Amino acid sequence: MLAIQVLLSGITSGSIYAIVALGFVLIYKGTRVVHFGLGEQVTLGAYLVIIGQLYAGFPFYLAVAAAVALAGGFGFLVERCIMRPISYQPVLVQIIGTLAIGLAIREGLRAFMGPHGWPFEFLLSPAPVSVAGIFFAWSNVAIIAASLAVMAASFVFFTYSRLGQAVLAACENPVGAYLVGVPVRRVISWIWIMASVLAALAGILIAPIITLSPEMGLIGIKGFTAAVLGGFTSLPGAVAGGFLLGVIETATGTYTSSAMKDATTFVLLVLVIILRPHGLFGFAQFKKV
Amino acid sequence: MAYSASRNSRRSDARPGIKVMAWCCVVAVPLLLPSIVSEYRLFQVGLIASTSLVAAGLVIVTGVAGQVSLAQAAFVALGAYGSTLLAQDLGISQWIGIPVSAVAAGAVGYVLGLLTLRMGGHYLALATMALTAIVQVVIVHWQSLTNGALGLAVMPLTIGGKPLTSGVALFYVVIPVTVAMFALAANLLDSRVGRAFAALRQSEIAASTLGINVLHYKALAFALSAVFGAVGGGLQALQTTYLDPQSFGIVESVLFIAIIVIGGFRSMAGAVLGSAVFTIIPTMLGAFQSYRGLAFALLLLGTIVLFPGGLAGLGSAGLAKGLSWFEGRRK
Repeated sequence: MLAIQVLLSGITSGSIYAIVALGFVLIYKGTRVVHFGLGEQVTLGAYLVIIGQLYAGFPFYLAVAAAVALAGGFGFLVERCIMRPISYQPVLVQIIGTLAIGLAIREGLRAFMGPHGWPFEFLLSPAPVSVAGIFFAWSNVAIIAASLAVMAASFVFFTYSRLGQAVLAACENPVGAYLVGVPVRRVISWIWIMASVLAALAGILIAPIITLSPEMGLIGIKGFTAAVLGGFTSLPGAVAGGFLLGVIETATGTYTSSAMKDATTFVLLVLVIILRPHGLFGFAQFKKV
Repeated sequence: MAYSASRNSRRSDARPGIKVMAWCCVVAVPLLLPSIVSEYRLFQVGLIASTSLVAAGLVIVTGVAGQVSLAQAAFVALGAYGSTLLAQDLGISQWIGIPVSAVAAGAVGYVLGLLTLRMGGHYLALATMALTAIVQVVIVHWQSLTNGALGLAVMPLTIGGKPLTSGVALFYVVIPVTVAMFALAANLLDSRVGRAFAALRQSEIAASTLGINVLHYKALAFALSAVFGAVGGGLQALQTTYLDPQSFGIVESVLFIAIIVIGGFRSMAGAVLGSAVFTIIPTMLGAFQSYRGLAFALLLLGTIVLFPGGLAGLGSAGLAKGLSWFEGRRK
């Protein structure tokens, strides 16, 4: 029974990590930059909902819709005003640029919204329900369902839509895509918008489970780990890595101690980078060679 | 400024007067300062000095050797906690404790460099980030040793049984150590080692074809950054007198990167300038303390987009322009 319980709870957090990891992988594939500030954009998405509720008086669901839209706009501005001007700089400068974006979001939220935590509404009731001896909450079911919907939407988008195909083409080979008429720059703008929307969705889903505070951006490191597990260049790999990380983390948290839970993520990140830099399922690397 | 001058040896050889003047300033200012300014200012100068040691480590590994490191906060934590715990639990004075912790941190840094040999760019940033996170988790959860999340009071540095707690007394400890270590770093960067680091930054493959042992120098760069970070951390602990595990996290590692970027991340002078900006900003904001982080973050963003060379880059560009204008007038 405990094992099923662990699996369920691991899949819940794992589905959120998977969404964050999708955002990382998208930006990395499109621009060859790991966006170290994406974790803070996760926080920002959740805060935008709070801001919409508090200052604009929106009801919850309208606030969520507004937050997602604003997050997309924010991603567009970040790409235009910060990442594009430094896109010809060395990787080091670009890494520092993304770190700076994260720092600015975190410190901005701390300055304007305070360092304390905020209560956040669940999508559905968090009261535990027992079915055949297994406890679950509808709120967690909502998280899993919403995540699966996001992933399914991404899959349909990349497989069937014109823009989705253009994104994949630009990720695969920017010059080649440009030569066959893909507007690569506009596509990169779209990549940032999509990754920012994904981050905001992840933030809105996870904020009720963990405390919403400026520190929540550290969720980013979970997203990195999930993405690294999946090989950092594969969208399905990122999703698989997210679920895997969620389950591993919950299992260590349950069977050892909660201190080990976070440590596991970090140790896993280091181990995978050192031992299997192409990820656990990284066959794409070999195909290219 | 002395260090940027001595690093650019060709330019400083052409104008030896400038170099001598700069070194005179380095020696004279610390001697005169305590009689001119208030105790609080001295305390601030001390903080700038210890922060600039940490930043100097980062200049070596990231600015000169080109290896992104988000591990600096971890090395600072090793220095701060290492020296404090040695003093508290084993009664070893910080006079010995700080060097010992620095050597230990250096060993950790060397191993980190060895392990991350094949990594570059993003993966290196991720791995060093994970190291910082791991060190912080250990500090927070190893409560029997570190007092966990509650933090740790730092025992004062003593000399002949007398505790040194005043700003003036610590000033006379921190400044000479900082100057000595900067001199050491400036010389090292001007030597074979510094040139090897610079070669590493430009291309590891080209460096190895020139006979540079990439593995050794990469590890050495990390070891040096760790030693500087740990000494800076140990000195900082003496001045702040309290260790909060929350102040040794990934965010702080990013702040150290921000310091060297704002200062100018290729030069030792940049480390000092950035640390000065970082320490002085909070006092300029007055009642708006909650905006200090934001102000610094926006400064970092502005610097990285508009002037990737940082303050020292602006400064030396301005200086060069001024000098050439001056020489042009003389002819």
